[in-house]
Amino acid sequence: MLLAQNLTLCRLERIIFENISISLSSGKIIILKGKNGSGKTTFLKTILNLLEPTSGTIYWKGKLLSRNLYDYYNNLTYIADKTSSIKQLSVYENIKIWKKIFSSHMNYEKIEEILSILNLKVFLGARVSTLSLGEIKKLELLRLMIENKKIWILDEPFTNLDMETINLIGQTFEDHCKNEGCVIFSSHQDPLIPVSDEVNL
Amino acid sequence: MIFLHKLLNFYYREYKLNLSGFQDILTNITFFFISIFIFIFSIGPEKETYSFLGVGILWTLLLLSSTLSLRKFYQDDFENGNLTLLHLNGFSFELIAILKTFSHFIFVQIPFLLSIPLASILLNVGNEKLYRLTISFLLGALILSSLGSISSSMNLLNKRNYLLGSVIVMIFSIPIIIFSVGIININENFNSLVGILSGILLITFAVNPWASGACLKIAIQNN
Repeated sequence: MLLAQNLTLCRLERIIFENISISLSSGKIIILKGKNGSGKTTFLKTILNLLEPTSGTIYWKGKLLSRNLYDYYNNLTYIADKTSSIKQLSVYENIKIWKKIFSSHMNYEKIEEILSILNLKVFLGARVSTLSLGEIKKLELLRLMIENKKIWILDEPFTNLDMETINLIGQTFEDHCKNEGCVIFSSHQDPLIPVSDEVNL
Repeated sequence: MIFLHKLLNFYYREYKLNLSGFQDILTNITFFFISIFIFIFSIGPEKETYSFLGVGILWTLLLLSSTLSLRKFYQDDFENGNLTLLHLNGFSFELIAILKTFSHFIFVQIPFLLSIPLASILLNVGNEKLYRLTISFLLGALILSSLGSISSSMNLLNKRNYLLGSVIVMIFSIPIIIFSVGIININENFNSLVGILSGILLITFAVNPWASGACLKIAIQNN
């Protein structure tokens, strides 16, 4: 589905990453590994078409990404390293906004079920600003379910999460791949979940 | 139909955001009225003075008060990554700029519009001028929102000096003030002055999406 060939990105005469290729197809989980500042986020931004690579090409479903962008964006969910939830609103209000903005058909019973698994159901009426960093991260990951897209692109998804939640997320990745989805995520540490491919930056 | 649905959902989000930040809107309105009182206390109670100065004072304060809210225009959505999310969800940067401009007009400028009758009484702006003041404010506020969009998106590229955006808006607001106050005070040429103000509005409408969109794109790339 997504093919990136020999991507190189230079900024201010500094090489951020060089000759990186990935092939992301249904059922695959790819991890981007590297130290802090190694260019993981920049690479993810490049395959999101937010940054233009200095050299190399990206294809989506066999066509150049730039010519098939609308379809590509319709098929992906991006979870950034920052939290996109609006802190002054409640958890429920954030979910309602996401459901509307991403035109999600997921019903509230299903969402509440997932919130229960993530131990977030009790915070449904609470403001996001009152949650802990881990709880905010879990809420952010709920967006994967709400958006229900094929490609999941995640930047440092396991930051601030406990081992139990990391395993749960790993299991979710596997289930998603069984349903013809695919995942690419970055991590500076080994999250101990099964992956199909590893890219070192 | 899908596009219209997306627009409605965008404004639902804006409505929720502005409702949660209602105290900011209230602060702007309070600033506006306190400034009017300061003018009244400093100039004195003579009614005749205000029949000359009232409209000018009102427009100057409207401009200053609306620039207070400019920092929030894109900043929060940029910092929490929501601008990127909206873009990935099919909203081009240009479309975001247009929608945000109208959002600023609806949630920041309209409360000022509603407070104009009370402010007119305080500054002895006669009823006969109220209609013209409303027309000039409707056009002028849309121009100010467009300029605000451009300056706020430029501010995202310049994190050291937030006041620069407000200064840019003020400089470009000089012609708006001239024509807006002209509409109210000059009895002749009402239609031609409205035409000039509408022309300025169309120019800012044409420039805003491209200028703001380009700044948003560069800001996200550099973030």
